[in-house]
Amino acid sequence: MDRLEATRLLVGKLSNEPVVANLGMATRDLCAAQDRDANFYMWGAMGLASSVGLGVALATPDRKVVVLDGDGSILMNLGSLATIARERPRNLVHVVCDNQQWGETGGQPTHTATGTDLASVARGAGISKVASASTLEELGKVMDRALKEDGPWCVVARIEPDTERPTINRIEPEVNLWRFRRTFE
Amino acid sequence: MSWAQRIVDLLKAQDIRFIVYVPDMVVWQVLQLMEEDPFFHLVAATREEEALGIASGAYAARKRSAVFMQSSGFGNCLNALGSLCIPYRIPFPMFISLRGELGEFNIAQVALGRAVVPILDSLALQHFAPRTEAELEPMVDGAIRLCYSSRTPVAVLLAPMLTGGKRG
Ligand SMILES: Cc1ncc(C[n+]2csc(CCOP(=O)(O)OP(=O)(O)O)c2C)c(N)n1
Ligand SMILES: [Mg+2]
Repeated sequence: MDRLEATRLLVGKLSNEPVVANLGMATRDLCAAQDRDANFYMWGAMGLASSVGLGVALATPDRKVVVLDGDGSILMNLGSLATIARERPRNLVHVVCDNQQWGETGGQPTHTATGTDLASVARGAGISKVASASTLEELGKVMDRALKEDGPWCVVARIEPDTERPTINRIEPEVNLWRFRRTFE
Repeated sequence: MSWAQRIVDLLKAQDIRFIVYVPDMVVWQVLQLMEEDPFFHLVAATREEEALGIASGAYAARKRSAVFMQSSGFGNCLNALGSLCIPYRIPFPMFISLRGELGEFNIAQVALGRAVVPILDSLALQHFAPRTEAELEPMVDGAIRLCYSSRTPVAVLLAPMLTGGKRG
């Protein structure tokens, strides 16, 4: 599936739920799909989108929190899956968009291209609600459940390599955080 | 009152409940006291950079936090500071147990222990190293206030002169 379409589908299911987006294409596609106050865009901190999302989720246990991660990035911080399993935030929905490549840096194949199965890794880390989706229809169904049923959820979405980069209006990181924080007032 | 108990009380006074850590023998003295106190919510991370990410997320959702680690683990944090906390202006106090100083028994702790201050300086992050009980309260309380007013991480370095260090 195409990440921008997947992101549009996902954002369409949300109201004011916070979304934390990984650096690079996840941030671009989220901003292009719908720029909203409750979006937290990473421009760095590779690997930490899931950790930031965990922090948001633990601080606001009554709101579902969505993370849009990348395969290369979660591979840099696999310990995060173990910490999520240990803390068990019911409200965390961690979506890993697996295109089997470091897309942002030119499409070099990551370790998921050579056999690493992130859904099994997540299960092995101790996360019980793990699902995979390779079509928009499957993703839609999984997200309906994940946004309703207690998690933590790890959803591995098999996406195609990105073919275009949407142009977006970048906002200053500082302004992004300030805007995001206001949604918790 | 022990240095560790004083830090616990100062965090409480500033309403910092959410504590993220990777342990060492020195910071564990503080963490142990907090584990017994229902006021605090402790989260163990697998790596210090992850701890900074979790603390940053908590701040993004309007919750104050503090991070505890050893100087070796500070080396694992640099990209989180440089590409997340500093550009987005995310504050929290970092309590860093300083190894490689007086009485150090392990050569593997020395190089990074000595590099902590120059690294903090190169990132323009402020740091304070209370070495006596008398310095503890003004420096810890002051560092916490400063980090929130400047919206930047601030480091409190826990040196062996204060804590007794780790002797082997
Ligand atoms: C610490 C660090 N290492 C490397 C980079 C360079 N870099 C930026 S994005 C990226 C790839 C991210 O891959 P993935 O998470 O799979 O996201 P995708 O681009 O495929 O959506 C890399 C390696 C970086 N920004 N930071
Ligand atoms: Mg990728």
